Amino acid sequence: MTNKAQLSKAQVSRESFGRMIWKRTLGGVGVKLALTWVGILVIAAVFAPFLANSMPLIMSKDGEVSMPVLRYLDTEDAAVLAAFVTLIGLWLLPMHLKLRSWLMWIVGVTAAVAVLASLMLKPPQLIIYDDFRTAAYTEVDWRLMPPIPYAPTDYLRDQRALPLQAPSIQHWLGTEENGGDVLSRMIHASRIALSIGIVATSIAMVIGVIIGGFMGYFSGLVDMIGMRLVEVFESIPTLFLLLTFVAFFGRSLYMMMIIIGVTSWSGYARYIRAEFLKLRKQDYVQAAVASGLPLRSILFRHMLPNGVAPLLVAMSFGVAAAILAEATLSFLGLGLVDAPSWGQMLNQAVKSATFNWWMAVFPGGAIFMTVFAYTLIGEAFRDAIDPTLARATGVN
Amino acid sequence: MSDLLLDVRDLHTYLRTGEETIKAVDGISYQIKRGETFCLVGESGSGKSISALSVMRLLPAAIASHPAGEIVFQQENLLTLPDAALRRIRGSRIAMIFQEPMTSLNPVLSIGAQIMEALQLHNPGLSTAEAEERTIKALEQVQLPNARRRVRDFPHQLSGGQRQRVMIAMALACEPELLIADEPTTALDVTVQAEILRLMRELQESTGMSLLFITHDFGVVAEMAHQVGVMQQGKLVEKGVTEQVLRQPQHAYTQQLLAAVPENLARQAGRIRGDNPSLTLPISKEGTSTSADSALSLARGDQAGVSPLIEVKNLKVWFPIKKGLFRHTVDHVKAVDDVSFELPKGGIVALVGESGCGKTTLGRAILQLEQPTSGSVKMRGTELVGLSAKALQPWRGRMQIAFQDPQSSLNPRLLVETTLTEPMKVHDIGNNAEERLELAGDALERVQLKRDFLWRYPHEFSGGQRQRIGLARALVLNPAFIVCDEITSALDVSVQAEILQLLLAIRAERDLTLLFVTHNIGVVEYLSDWTMVMYQGKIVERGPTAQVCGDPQDAYTQKLLAGVPRLDKVA
Repeated sequence: MTNKAQLSKAQVSRESFGRMIWKRTLGGVGVKLALTWVGILVIAAVFAPFLANSMPLIMSKDGEVSMPVLRYLDTEDAAVLAAFVTLIGLWLLPMHLKLRSWLMWIVGVTAAVAVLASLMLKPPQLIIYDDFRTAAYTEVDWRLMPPIPYAPTDYLRDQRALPLQAPSIQHWLGTEENGGDVLSRMIHASRIALSIGIVATSIAMVIGVIIGGFMGYFSGLVDMIGMRLVEVFESIPTLFLLLTFVAFFGRSLYMMMIIIGVTSWSGYARYIRAEFLKLRKQDYVQAAVASGLPLRSILFRHMLPNGVAPLLVAMSFGVAAAILAEATLSFLGLGLVDAPSWGQMLNQAVKSATFNWWMAVFPGGAIFMTVFAYTLIGEAFRDAIDPTLARATGVN
Repeated sequence: MSDLLLDVRDLHTYLRTGEETIKAVDGISYQIKRGETFCLVGESGSGKSISALSVMRLLPAAIASHPAGEIVFQQENLLTLPDAALRRIRGSRIAMIFQEPMTSLNPVLSIGAQIMEALQLHNPGLSTAEAEERTIKALEQVQLPNARRRVRDFPHQLSGGQRQRVMIAMALACEPELLIADEPTTALDVTVQAEILRLMRELQESTGMSLLFITHDFGVVAEMAHQVGVMQQGKLVEKGVTEQVLRQPQHAYTQQLLAAVPENLARQAGRIRGDNPSLTLPISKEGTSTSADSALSLARGDQAGVSPLIEVKNLKVWFPIKKGLFRHTVDHVKAVDDVSFELPKGGIVALVGESGCGKTTLGRAILQLEQPTSGSVKMRGTELVGLSAKALQPWRGRMQIAFQDPQSSLNPRLLVETTLTEPMKVHDIGNNAEERLELAGDALERVQLKRDFLWRYPHEFSGGQRQRIGLARALVLNPAFIVCDEITSALDVSVQAEILQLLLAIRAERDLTLLFVTHNIGVVEYLSDWTMVMYQGKIVERGPTAQVCGDPQDAYTQKLLAGVPRLDKVA
């Protein structure tokens, strides 16, 4: 009987730990604003095709209901949607899974959906946006358009819209030099900004934590070899490597992610190494060794959570740096060809003969806000994860 | 009352932290006469240091306030004195020395420059040459060897004891009338402490200054004080002539504190050195003969005894000193240098020595936490040195360690429950999570903690509670052997007494073998059956505790034991 009571208490305690951290992270006003901004970005990135597109979301013509937008969804859209739905599902469903199974679920579902989508979805290679403004799509019983009825690459040739229009009722954030809608392009670009930041930093983190962890824990020869490796990678200029790869292998977002990730792990490795060198001598780590705990547990359970604080801050800067790297590349005109990105939009703002403030302010502001938001979140998380800083409120 | 130097009347010191106000000092009164030593003694948090800092008005005004009371130093109330007037008194008429000699000197100035600065500040007419001469004199006064040459030394070139001497020289350079010493010897080794205490007594005699001495150690009180005040939670619960307070304590708290001093614990248990050697080997059911035999084997360092639990033979742990471009080894630090001994089953063996003698390294080398350079460590006849991590795994559960520092001995990110159950899971103790939880709860109860402490984080506990949890972590694996590495030296004396009694009880019921690493001779006398004295990586003396402590043969052991401040040495 008492045993039962204790077990249920264990569940409560385990479950509430994550919530406690979450609650404490959310403590400040700044971090709430930052999370709101990132939340807006996530929504924009996931639902970009539904938020800004030239085709109707749903329409009824001659009694036949169809969803044109679905026909034009590609594998990437489907995968992003699947990941998002899984994440929300795991969040809401009353399942108490560990972080590892969370990640497994998300990666698994996303991969499965991506494979299925690539087999089943056959979006048309060429999209003629003018078609959507012909009778086939306009003279219908009823239809629902996206909130921003312009696709990012819809240059409105049929409407002979003037390019480089200042913000108006029709185009909320104005139009760019080809006549594309700036807001629509920014919404679609948020996907690149978010994904390159998170994926590149994750790659760098994983490599950095593993190499740095081994360096710090084993020290000696391992440390010496590791540090030389760090130095080699630190001497590689990321931007020029990216330029070289773009020149040889063409432009690809995934390649960019991998290159940024593979070249920027050295900072994380250094942080983790320094922390581990310090933690290795801590009594509780020695006690873990003396208890014969497996290396995995010593490294990742007893040492990593205690050494992760500087990493979290570095990570938030890393995300920001990756976003900036992509923006820089696009700004230099070496980004993705057709897909819009914030940096490329800034590039357009500079290149045109007149200064078009809306072309500089909105993408530039978005980059600034995103970088700023990640920094705020990183700092709040660092404070929250430290139980010694726990405020008097609600800790046990 | 012209010989009254300092009169503290009804002093209150409140500290604000956030919305809370802590009554750190709550109405204490005492007087110090010229040439007298007044000791404030109490446990951590009793307000003894705060009351001393109040005298110097060194507490930050933003958080500290004195709602009542006055501190009269020669007709002047220090609490209401303007800052300029106070500065003339600070340093020149009242000086202070602190606990931590490592941090109380400025590392970028030579010691001479630091003393000279103080001198010239308080004697504006002094020329540099005169100041230097007086500095050298001050250093000679504190018996720093080669004072004339060492004036230009920097703090890092001095040992802890030498730094504390420099601190005293700096405090005494201006010939103050009152010296406040805040635990000046707590961070020092016993033999160094003895020298510093002797020095302070001599200086007091020659200069006639008064001493306000703050300590937690009743042995030091006995050696130093004329008058003593016992503090508890900001109040002075008892004060009087030292001999009277120590011999016939009136207040319940003083009695309790004195009873907890290891010396007195030992006296109660009837196992003080020299009383009766046979009493010093109280060994459980298995029979006294076994332990007597193994005691002999330990004393001789040979293998004649009955199968020992741990055999250490020619153990060396050398740390290389690397220098130069290619980091070649130029020399070794011989932390443990050719040590051999056996630990009999069910015995408590104390390993005594000063800081840096290699006792901690030896303890860790036995557990294979430190890679021995050479030699052998056998447990139940199995060689442990050189075993792979995998082969060592089953032995890990049988030997455990408990640590000194309650701050770092528990993983701050893990629940106590995880800390306790994870090793059990690795060693297949308990069939399922529920059973392990039950066992972890039992372990907590065994160390006299509540079962529901399982669901808390380490930072929610006091130092003594954490040490208990650390013990529980060692106990959950049902080890045969535990290395206790100074587990009580960071604790208050009453908490220490509880932990020591707990250890004895657990040993009696589980037939545990303990290697108790410590520098505290009182603890050794109370707890251990056998004692090994370590000096510069070697074991210089070993034998039954009564024999080693009562009739030390080695010169170092004799010096060590002579340095221990004892209650019976009332000044």
